[in-house]
Amino acid sequence: MSAPEDTGPEATRDDPVIAAEWALGLLEGEELLAARGKYATDPDFAWRKEWWDNWFAPWTDDMAGAVEPGAHVWDGIAARLTTQTGIANAPNATSGGEVVALKARLRRWQWAAGLTSAAAAVALALLVLNPAGVQAPNTQPAQIAAAPMIATVPIGETGLRLDVTYIPEGERMLIAAIGLAPDGVHDHELWLVPDDGSAAKSLGVVAPGEVRSMEVPAEVVAELHDGSRLLLTREPLGGKPADAEAGPVVAEGAFIRV
Amino acid sequence: MRAQLLMAARPRPSSDEAREALRDAMARLAEGDQTALEEIYRMTRVKLFGITLRILGDRKEAEDALQDVYVNLWQRADRYDPARASPISWLATFARNRAIDRLRTGKVRGGAVGIEEAAPLPDEAPLADALLVDAEQAAQIHKCIETLDERTRTHIRAAFFDGYTYAQLAEQADVPLGTMKSWIRRGLQRLRACLEASERP
Repeated sequence: MSAPEDTGPEATRDDPVIAAEWALGLLEGEELLAARGKYATDPDFAWRKEWWDNWFAPWTDDMAGAVEPGAHVWDGIAARLTTQTGIANAPNATSGGEVVALKARLRRWQWAAGLTSAAAAVALALLVLNPAGVQAPNTQPAQIAAAPMIATVPIGETGLRLDVTYIPEGERMLIAAIGLAPDGVHDHELWLVPDDGSAAKSLGVVAPGEVRSMEVPAEVVAELHDGSRLLLTREPLGGKPADAEAGPVVAEGAFIRV
Repeated sequence: MRAQLLMAARPRPSSDEAREALRDAMARLAEGDQTALEEIYRMTRVKLFGITLRILGDRKEAEDALQDVYVNLWQRADRYDPARASPISWLATFARNRAIDRLRTGKVRGGAVGIEEAAPLPDEAPLADALLVDAEQAAQIHKCIETLDERTRTHIRAAFFDGYTYAQLAEQADVPLGTMKSWIRRGLQRLRACLEASERP
């Protein structure tokens, strides 16, 4: 145990090293979240992470065993694609023209916010199937013109993020936590930050891996506007205990009107 | 058997042809062509499954991760930048990162996979060997990692191949956590210097 690396000063840990640690998969917990946040906001860091990914990629050639995944894997993928596109393609609840208009609008949100397809499909289903949300074909499309608002809360790169969509029709909010997986120890709680500096209002615990629709309490609706800030905190299972401070903020975002 | 029928027999393409076919399918997927996904799956599933299985060490978890990879790919095909990486290099990284995410957020144990986990392959299926990541690049990273001392090299590779954390590596090597971090961070500094030197004209 006397290789040269044993001696000398503490190894420096600059951004390129952190990016390398992340690319190797060494980062955990807070450090991992911090790296993901930096990736989203610091182009140099993002470039360096991809630089390492690219250099390490040849090693994956040595990982590939001659192993065939089960046939159900493709069946599952195909089923998930069908479910997602199926909802978007098959609404018959309203007149054709309206559905087309809704689809076009949804497409714009998706582009505007990079909304995940699953969240968009659920949003469309809600708009089309929820009688409160869509008026009869012969009414003026005044209500429907009330623009939804979208917030994207990135908490990672590939898929790890929340898409929050507020639909004024019916005062519903969609929270899509597609990329999140439960760790069995923590839950994540979503908060709306009021402009007047008063305490953040809880929007509830996020359901990992799911798209959930919730009714928005009137006191929250009153605070909602273009630019409203959202915070995501890490809490014990079940959300923030009534007698405790909120946990650390792990991600944030803001609503934009689309 | 269904998988074998689905992945119909065809002559094994050369590496260049396989790359070109994959590049083409990725471009069509980014334009919203859903059928391209099945082609990509057919071409890459063995390699990507090898990666998720190696990292997660559990067949069912690895198959779930593989499903996520392709569904996510379909949703986010436009994230791939052909100027930055070859398609297979990007897909392999994508699959490994997803598997690592799963390992870190879930309760999967991870680690090496027993040989009994391996299902036999139909003869015509493994295109994986035709879809190697760029050979020149592979030679360079190999050359640079070889400049590190053997111990550092072994730990860095173990992190990549088995998804070990610093704590796991330190425990296995029976050294303090701080020591393991220092070894690896110094190794990464040197690795970076070597790789950057190779990029200069």
